[in-house]
Amino acid sequence: MRREDSLTQHVDWWLLSIVIIMLGMGIANVYSAAYDPDHPNIFDFSQKYGKQIMWVGISIFLGFLVFLIDSDIYRKFAVPIYLFCFSLLIVVLFTPPINGARAWLGIGSMGIQPAEFMKIGTAIALSRYVSTVNVKNQNVQTVFIALAIVMVPMILILLQPDAGTFVVFTSFFFVMYREGITFDPLVLKVVNLIPGVRFKDTWVGSHFIPILFYVVFLSIVTLLMSGNKYEFTFMQGVLIPGFYGVITVITVIALVAYLILRWVSSKREQRRVLLVIITGWLLSVAVSTTVNFSFSSLAQHQKDRIELVLGLRKDDDGKDYNRNRAMAAVGSGGLFGKGYKKASVASVRSNHVPESETDFIFCPLAEEWGFMGSLVIVFLFMGMLFRIIVIAERQRSTFNRVYAYCVAMIVFYHFAVNIGMNIGLAPVIGIPLPFFSYGGSSLMSFSMLLFILLKLDSQRRDVLF
Amino acid sequence: MNLDGRKYVILVFFILVGAIYLIRLFFMQVVDDSWKLRAQEIAEKRKEITPPRGIVFDRHDKKVVTNRSYYNLMMKEEDIHDFDTVAFAKLVGWTKQEVKDRFYQIKKGEGRYFNKNINKYQDNYQPQRAYPFIKELTIDEITRIAPHLERFPGFYEDLTSMRSYPYSGGANIFGYLNEVTKEELEEDAFYRRGDQIGRAGIERYYEKELRGQKGIKYVVTSALNNAIESYAGGKYDTLAEQGPALHLGLDIQLQVYGEKLMQNKRGCIVAIEPKTGEILALVSAPSFDPNILVGRRNIGKNYPKLLLDEGKPLYPRPLAAEYPPGSIFKLLQSLIGLQEKVITPESGFPCTKSMVGCHNHPNANNLPDGIKNSCNPYFYYVMRRIIQQGKKRSIFADAEIGLNIWYDYIMSFGLGSEFETDVTGMRSGLIPNSAYYDKWYGHNTWAFSTIRSISIGQGEVKVTPLQMANIAAIIANRGWYYTPHFVRSIGNKGPLPQFKKIHRTKVDAVHYEPVIEGMRRAVYEPGGTAKKAQVEGMIVCGKTGTAQNPHGEDHSVFIAFAPMENPKIAIAVFIENAGFGGVWAAPTASLMMEKYVHRKVKDKAKEQMIVNANLLNMKARPKKKKP
Repeated sequence: MRREDSLTQHVDWWLLSIVIIMLGMGIANVYSAAYDPDHPNIFDFSQKYGKQIMWVGISIFLGFLVFLIDSDIYRKFAVPIYLFCFSLLIVVLFTPPINGARAWLGIGSMGIQPAEFMKIGTAIALSRYVSTVNVKNQNVQTVFIALAIVMVPMILILLQPDAGTFVVFTSFFFVMYREGITFDPLVLKVVNLIPGVRFKDTWVGSHFIPILFYVVFLSIVTLLMSGNKYEFTFMQGVLIPGFYGVITVITVIALVAYLILRWVSSKREQRRVLLVIITGWLLSVAVSTTVNFSFSSLAQHQKDRIELVLGLRKDDDGKDYNRNRAMAAVGSGGLFGKGYKKASVASVRSNHVPESETDFIFCPLAEEWGFMGSLVIVFLFMGMLFRIIVIAERQRSTFNRVYAYCVAMIVFYHFAVNIGMNIGLAPVIGIPLPFFSYGGSSLMSFSMLLFILLKLDSQRRDVLF
Repeated sequence: MNLDGRKYVILVFFILVGAIYLIRLFFMQVVDDSWKLRAQEIAEKRKEITPPRGIVFDRHDKKVVTNRSYYNLMMKEEDIHDFDTVAFAKLVGWTKQEVKDRFYQIKKGEGRYFNKNINKYQDNYQPQRAYPFIKELTIDEITRIAPHLERFPGFYEDLTSMRSYPYSGGANIFGYLNEVTKEELEEDAFYRRGDQIGRAGIERYYEKELRGQKGIKYVVTSALNNAIESYAGGKYDTLAEQGPALHLGLDIQLQVYGEKLMQNKRGCIVAIEPKTGEILALVSAPSFDPNILVGRRNIGKNYPKLLLDEGKPLYPRPLAAEYPPGSIFKLLQSLIGLQEKVITPESGFPCTKSMVGCHNHPNANNLPDGIKNSCNPYFYYVMRRIIQQGKKRSIFADAEIGLNIWYDYIMSFGLGSEFETDVTGMRSGLIPNSAYYDKWYGHNTWAFSTIRSISIGQGEVKVTPLQMANIAAIIANRGWYYTPHFVRSIGNKGPLPQFKKIHRTKVDAVHYEPVIEGMRRAVYEPGGTAKKAQVEGMIVCGKTGTAQNPHGEDHSVFIAFAPMENPKIAIAVFIENAGFGGVWAAPTASLMMEKYVHRKVKDKAKEQMIVNANLLNMKARPKKKKP
């Protein structure tokens, strides 16, 4: 039932307005941050603000193109789109590195980052795949393919290396959680290897996201405790390295838990309890060991970052320079800020906060507009996320809903990590703030991500399944 | 499996993160001030602008201490990056090669120093240190260059201001400036490292006035520490304020003239305007050009030389040299005797020479002749009448009462204590009282005969040349004085309050006339001791003195004032090892008085005689009687 309506009919004006507002604020903010008194014209294309306006123009043009194309194309051509982005990701690995990473395709500042577009490709491919899966009838293969769609690009991105985008890709796991794609078949495969055990489902498998949280939590604890710096005195002067301490604590907790559970549970359940405990213990030890091992094999600058984020070290003018300057800029904003173009710490000219027009774009914003500005930004993003969830939940097609959730999670990740690192709540990982950070690739990819969603949503009634 | 509930998990997760971030932002931006302080620390610099020091003028509004200010274009290699030699050369108006040469020159030259230990020149160039790239730029030049310096990180302008002394005189009066010490930095928050502080003289005494008010400028700086713009549009900046000008009572031409007269001599001249107590000249010989103590390098080079010079040019002779005043003290004994009514102007005493020696002269039949002849026995009798007034039967108790009466009179002439005045390095001199002699000899063991030498200004009595000049001023004023001082006005606010307070001696004005007549006769009448002090066109009143010197030839002393009526100048001249006061000190004083009152000296022969005299190596001659 295709209708020959105008392109803008059934468009979600709320979301579109938020996007436009953000683009406008983004330009104003880049203009302020990168302002050069020698080139006061905002349309000066030799300057970053001029270029940003150009990129916004291109992005809106791309969005317009998206609106011209029938939304069904994404579902139909999901695999070619994915493969196209994927091939770019491979090609980029053979380019000369810029700033130590092979992330750019093209010449100089006009280049694009394939990893940014891979997010769109992965979102579409994942949506396409999940929409074909019968949630009630999952097996190892379905889980494996879903994971592969997300994780193969992740490996390539890690090869660039681009830690930021790598982290962003983990957002797709949340989408899987929402859609009920579980680890369960994989977990069952392993668990059922144990003689005499035959489960139909496990709690671990079906709630892998909560477990992932546990893993992250345990990782942080392990990092805090591990390393040769932190040793415990155990039983009259016997020093045990922190990592073994963590293992010991896990083991003790497991034993105590087993004793308590055995006491409260019936005889029939005891075997199951034992199994859960053993699994939990094994998993914990595995996580702890992995974290400990991978931490010690990390590059020094990554170690430093982790240690700084965890508050294990204070080095305001050295390793913690970026975060310290960023937080000073944000914190100095006060309630109402210093005023437009008045940032003294975060402006590009003062250069105290590095990359203040890209990854640390929140700094000039927070410094110039104060807490009120921060409030507006957080509310805008919250509004955008809510609206995307609302849109997601009203879709008739699974493809559309999964895609919407992908968009929501990607935007959320960028928001959370980017602002988090500006206020010292997240590690300093270079990912841009959507629609605010200077840079063509980020702007174009986010615009396309959002405009595709808007297009899909505007045609949601066309879909019959 | 109910998957629909999971959308709420995600929503709650979003809300949770959003809320945590907002709370954190609220604390960072609104509640907690530590990040604001951190930001100030990072991006805002407080720049202090030191104003040029206050200017010093003499009594004829001639600039005697002034500032020479110029800009240095500083260079710090560490901060230089992306240096565009061609653009820089164009900016400063040099050729590219000249700029390159200058860099080479600085690296090879400026930092070089002579290492005494190995007797070799060594390179000491440090990239993190600032060197003047172009020195002594004028204001016009720097205003053209400065706005473009932002393009050349590592270069900045630096205002330098140094003292300059156009008259090359008065070094002992003005003092000098030097960098503050660590202790001074800790003591006074005003100073920063490298600031200048007054080290002696007026520069030291009026340091708080002369240094002015520092200006404070808040600037936003970049990570490279370059100033980008003024903070908050300069709302919190304050302007630097130059210290007020000091107007001295000093006559710089008289001062320079005095220094010229005193060349190749040791000693001092103090000239005071009696009406006001303003010091007209304060010569300390040997003197030196104050310009040799300007700037760190000059001080380092010249100060040790001055310190080790056997003429002790840094010793403030007029203020700190304490000598027995000799015969000039007879004037005070006369005044006290008249006030105490133990003598009259007509009192005559024989020149007996039995108790104290004297030179050959007729007996003095009245006080003015006693003064004219400077008769030692005459004043021995005068003093005996003052000390032993017969108030007590015991001569010891009587002498104690008499001495303390005398002491009170003498103290009212400003002797025996430091003046509360604006010079530094002053000493009090010494006037003995009964307590002093009790300590020395024991109570009731001394009488006038024990202490008789003070009657002619010898013995325990010690007076500084400044005090001698003040005695002349008091006599000129007929009994009162203002504390001798330099600064007649700070800015336009007048002098310090203590200089407006009149001090009256305990001797009534009428008693001064016979003493002044004696001083006139000493200069003009036959047998007078100071005939070389005559000045054409006015009546000079003077009194010679000779300060005993156990180490060599006696010191020549002369005090005088002129003209006799309505005196304009009171003067004390003190020349070390020059013998009898009438020979060298009196003509020197006359030249000074002539110079001051008539503005020029007619008696060129006398002038030449004094200027050419070299009294530095006077050998001790056989002692003569003290006149």
